[in-house]
Amino acid sequence: MSPLYRDDAPEDFSLFRRRILVAGGLLLGGLAPATAQTGPALAADNTVTDFANQFMSLSSLLIQHRLDRDVGVRLAAALKAQSPDFAAHVGELLGIAKTKNATIVEDFFYDLADGPLKDTALGIISAWYIGVIVDAPNAEVFAYELALMFQPTIDVMTIPTYAISGPNGWTSEATPLSNMPKF
Amino acid sequence: MANADSADVIVVGTGVIGCLVAEQMLDAGLSVLMLEAGPRVDRWRIVENYRNLPPSLRLSFDAPYPPKPWAPHMESYSDAAAAEYLQLEGPNARAYRQGYVRYAGGATWHWAGICWRLTPDDMRLKSLYGVGRDWDFGYDTLEPYYTRAEYAMGVCGPSDSALQWPPIRSKPYPMGPLPFGPGEQRFTDAAARIGLKNLPSAQARNSGIAYDGRPPCCGNNNCIPVCPIAAKYDAAAALPKIEAKGGRILVNAVVYRVETGQKNAIAAVHYFDPDKLTHRVTGKIFVLACNGIETPKILLLSKDERNPNGLANSSDQVGRNMMDQPKLVAELTLAEPMWTGVGPVQGSSIMQTSQGEFRSRHGGALFRFNNMARSRVGAIAAVRKGLVGKALDTEIRRLSACTAEIAIEHELLPDPNNRLTLSDKKDWLGINKPNIHYDVGDYVRRCASEYSVPIAKSLAAELGATDVQVSTEFTNSDHIMGGMIMGADSTRSVVDLDCRAHDHSNLFLPGGGAMTSSGCGNSTLTMAALALKAADAVMDQVKHS
Repeated sequence: MSPLYRDDAPEDFSLFRRRILVAGGLLLGGLAPATAQTGPALAADNTVTDFANQFMSLSSLLIQHRLDRDVGVRLAAALKAQSPDFAAHVGELLGIAKTKNATIVEDFFYDLADGPLKDTALGIISAWYIGVIVDAPNAEVFAYELALMFQPTIDVMTIPTYAISGPNGWTSEATPLSNMPKF
Repeated sequence: MANADSADVIVVGTGVIGCLVAEQMLDAGLSVLMLEAGPRVDRWRIVENYRNLPPSLRLSFDAPYPPKPWAPHMESYSDAAAAEYLQLEGPNARAYRQGYVRYAGGATWHWAGICWRLTPDDMRLKSLYGVGRDWDFGYDTLEPYYTRAEYAMGVCGPSDSALQWPPIRSKPYPMGPLPFGPGEQRFTDAAARIGLKNLPSAQARNSGIAYDGRPPCCGNNNCIPVCPIAAKYDAAAALPKIEAKGGRILVNAVVYRVETGQKNAIAAVHYFDPDKLTHRVTGKIFVLACNGIETPKILLLSKDERNPNGLANSSDQVGRNMMDQPKLVAELTLAEPMWTGVGPVQGSSIMQTSQGEFRSRHGGALFRFNNMARSRVGAIAAVRKGLVGKALDTEIRRLSACTAEIAIEHELLPDPNNRLTLSDKKDWLGINKPNIHYDVGDYVRRCASEYSVPIAKSLAAELGATDVQVSTEFTNSDHIMGGMIMGADSTRSVVDLDCRAHDHSNLFLPGGGAMTSSGCGNSTLTMAALALKAADAVMDQVKHS
């Protein structure tokens, strides 16, 4: 069973099912050349996938943790739609990281000058951690339990609504700050 | 009138009071019709609504419960939104921004589940300290109803009398206490070092075992705004039981008038449906249990020739004496991790500070460690600092673990000038919105300056706080009390000792509105005990009529 399976909501709202649908959609997209899609539609799909790949590559350089691709695909599309410069910024940031032979964010982030490019990098990090692009009423939520904000304390703190243990299964044992979880 | 309906007992409101009364009536063989202004929504929808809230809104307990146009409630996500429904004025208007949702189940959805009892002294403030009012019966009268309420709702608590509050009980709790997480334990240890005892709360949350068809608490840390697994007593568990016993629940039915008939007894209630059509419902006994704001509002709306100041209001006390426990919050930054987010969002309190000779001069106070997971708060603060990589993760962990909140809830005296009236402003249906004038008074202010804030600072110091910020403006605790105050003397109270309106023989107004003193603890269990006492009186009245 997937760790994301939830039994507290009807099937339509199960993340397990959501994930299968999204994965299935991507799979169908991938098979498209052999089936019905042609010309512009295919080109558009490839553009979306290419940009999502770029976004995931940059995200992996900005954040050294496991990143959920489904969340990334949706974030990439939303960030791109929100800002006309976003796609260019992603390309530029990837270029800078490549120039620096960066493998982690510390290899290149501190060389970025204050300004729109750095803001884009911070915006991407913020979205992955907080789960939203804008934290305001009616904002779209891209990730709840997959938002990275819960992970640095996941060894102790509950993600609200998700239990860590079971009936009376928790204790007052405290963990040292230095034991950063791996995620 | 269209769609007239009828039952032996008409219960208006489907929160904890309405549900407890309805079940008692049904068990006694009476027919029951419940009217609810708001919609009925499944638990999964509320949980999904919560998870789909942007992070900063997750602290707004009401945000997963968007109000229907016909049943508005205060929305707390911004000052402008909050000002829409409740019209508040006076020196402490902000402190009466009471949170309750108008949904089937009412505040049972989003309450913390805490079930403190009043102490005998809490009920005798006038005799002992010369302030406030005495209840016209003592703790001994209320005790059996407290016990019944604890068993009806499934309340867990300690069996060791040294950890009970108050340790005057006729039966043990139906379940043992819930364990502490690390933060609550550290708070308890620090309190003990300065001579204060942090007690495990009595909570309507199943501890270790299933109870009454609900599962045991698994520490999902989301009691407010909704328990995702029904371990806490709430409407989604209570309403189907009522229906299984033959009760009828009519939702989206906004009662706006109570009609009197012969001998000033209640003949009917009138409600609007969402199409703004009116309906009339008749019965033998009427129970208004819409909470301490909505019930006085309906009574005032229902004025007629015989009752020119509103129903049940010959004493002029309807809507007066509005109470809550004004709250201050101490925000702590600590050198060492405290840790929150393990177990329920609330699980203990220091109660001894609610009692003492000082009550002749100022009120008592309760101190509570807030156990809501602070990962969200820590992460938002760390991300805003523009940190990246390991520095970001380290700061999220530090800010989440090494910060804490202590809530201070103050005892308030009944003051007739703290008053609910009808605003000239109307809601979507054209019903007057409630207007409330509120001043916490010198009794509370003296407590804060001379007693509670100094204690909170001592607690913070003992916890090793490197910084302490205590809020300077009182806020709401959502414990609405006093607006239909109880007493034997019909000239200075609204309801008698069974929560029956002095002016109307078949109208019962149980709940927080009847409470004569506030104490420092959460009011729900006292409200529930009064509901069961009223239910006994209703059955006795029906039997003898």
